Amino acid sequence: MKIFSPVRIGWSLALILAILLPLVLGEYLTSILLLIAIWSIMAVSLNLLYGYTGQLSLGHSAFLGIGAYALGLIAVKLHIGFWPAFFASTAISGLAGFLIGIPALKLRGPYFVLVTLGFAAIVGVIVLAWVDFTGGANGLAGMPRPNPIPLPWGAELRFDSLRSMYYFTLFFLVLIAAICHRLVHSLIGRTFLAISHDENLAESLGINTMQKKLISFTISAMFSGVAGALYASYNVVISPDLAYFARGMDVLACLIVGGAGTMAGPIVGTFVMTAIPEGLQIVPYLKTLINGIILLLFIIFLPAGITGGFKAFFYRWGHAWKSGKGRNGIA
Amino acid sequence: MHGNPGRDAMALLEVSNLSKAFGGLMAVSGLTFSVEQGQLVSIIGPNGAGKTTLFNLLTGIYRPSTGSIVFDGVDITGCKPYQSARHGIGRTFQRTMVFQAETVLDNVTIGQSLHVKTGVWAAIARTRGARREEEKVREKARAILAFVGLADAGERPAGNLTEEAQKRLSIAMVLATDPKLLLLDEPTGGVNLEEIGGLIELVKKVQRSGIAVCLIEHKMRMVMSMSDRIIVLNYGTNIAEGTPAEVASNKEVIKAYLGARRVA
Repeated sequence: MKIFSPVRIGWSLALILAILLPLVLGEYLTSILLLIAIWSIMAVSLNLLYGYTGQLSLGHSAFLGIGAYALGLIAVKLHIGFWPAFFASTAISGLAGFLIGIPALKLRGPYFVLVTLGFAAIVGVIVLAWVDFTGGANGLAGMPRPNPIPLPWGAELRFDSLRSMYYFTLFFLVLIAAICHRLVHSLIGRTFLAISHDENLAESLGINTMQKKLISFTISAMFSGVAGALYASYNVVISPDLAYFARGMDVLACLIVGGAGTMAGPIVGTFVMTAIPEGLQIVPYLKTLINGIILLLFIIFLPAGITGGFKAFFYRWGHAWKSGKGRNGIA
Repeated sequence: MHGNPGRDAMALLEVSNLSKAFGGLMAVSGLTFSVEQGQLVSIIGPNGAGKTTLFNLLTGIYRPSTGSIVFDGVDITGCKPYQSARHGIGRTFQRTMVFQAETVLDNVTIGQSLHVKTGVWAAIARTRGARREEEKVREKARAILAFVGLADAGERPAGNLTEEAQKRLSIAMVLATDPKLLLLDEPTGGVNLEEIGGLIELVKKVQRSGIAVCLIEHKMRMVMSMSDRIIVLNYGTNIAEGTPAEVASNKEVIKAYLGARRVA
């Protein structure tokens, strides 16, 4: 692979922009960028499962909620510091994914989708109804910000400002996107892709499809949990609407608009789906409608999403590009 | 339990009293036969005789209603499909199946998945072991592509290949699993007459490399010329078995294919 492939240049520019923008933007726009980063993490995690392994989950709001509430409950009720609580909440959402994955992934197609949706609905109700434990509709307050990280030369990384919280979130987005990239382009990732194309054929070639799907599902659930924990820490207060099952569908809409099964897709999609309603200053209850219309237009006219459409465009018109970009394309 | 290479008295595949019922219909009933190491055995019979059902039983897609399947000294009755592939039974499908969107090379890479040792952590960290294994897998994929005659097609999307080339690729993918027995479901179906010869050559080449082959075929001339043994199925039962010459002169076989009146 060439060092200066268009794909690498694109990613580097995006990263530089993401780092520099908050320095010139005001508080409000920085907070929007921060939310885009959090929902991008969730879209990236859903992309691993849906885009690359072919398993459509409508229930990832559950893992988001589990990650957020695990952080909150461990930190607030058990008075444990941020970092142990953060790692514990990540592990708990991964474990939840593993335990739900075992029965759910035995089913295929629409049956699997229904189980994930049902699970998300159940978690949503538990969060709302178990008032003593989760605070019910009042939510849970007093989420900790990350404890400062001491640096070798005596200074420390503090996370009390909005900007620092943004960089903290951006770090995890980059880390998780990089992990997914490595995974998808490894030999294990090949088996994920094989399952997404044709599960029976994969199985006939000796691939333990159940095991591979479970790995993908567990990692995906874990990363959604990270998104939840980051949201909780940023927002200080969490309420049951975080775990409401429609949240999972919003993220799926971002993924489809951006382009499922591509690396940039989930991030581009989340950006577009957040930026358009914000830019048009649309009242919240119309946002869902606008998002629905955007999603519908994409499914009809560009089912491969923005990055998928780009990829097809350059495949057809830009053969000069093709020589340098290997199999990764813009994604 | 592992297969014992010294045990040459036993056949590679031993099927005894195998039956499969779908409701009241016996798709396969009381089937007993064996395939020796390195042999080419053809399974013929009219449509609906249970040939593909037999393959589906051998590869674990269906669970047998009764009977047992012993492969390489191991009882694999009731195995899952991926387990039977791991024991060394590879198969192709009647409808050519390849991963259309992936490149030809990646298709064969995927075929080697069952041997891959790299775990999730090593893949994420891209350890030296992971990179070395990836290179090794790619190397072997190229060798297999050369073996089936697709050496130059490695970077093309599999979906762009001709039907004949896709058949070759589907055989390459199974060869990547290192099978001891290869089940081929109509390997020349849907292919131009001129191209059939090349595919037959490939099947023979696979057999010469020491892999036993089980073939479902309708083209009689091909079956008669290349098989060591032929098994004839009709209504799910084994009505004749033997060398091509024995089967060709068998009254039951002629009856099944041409109707009773021709015999009388």
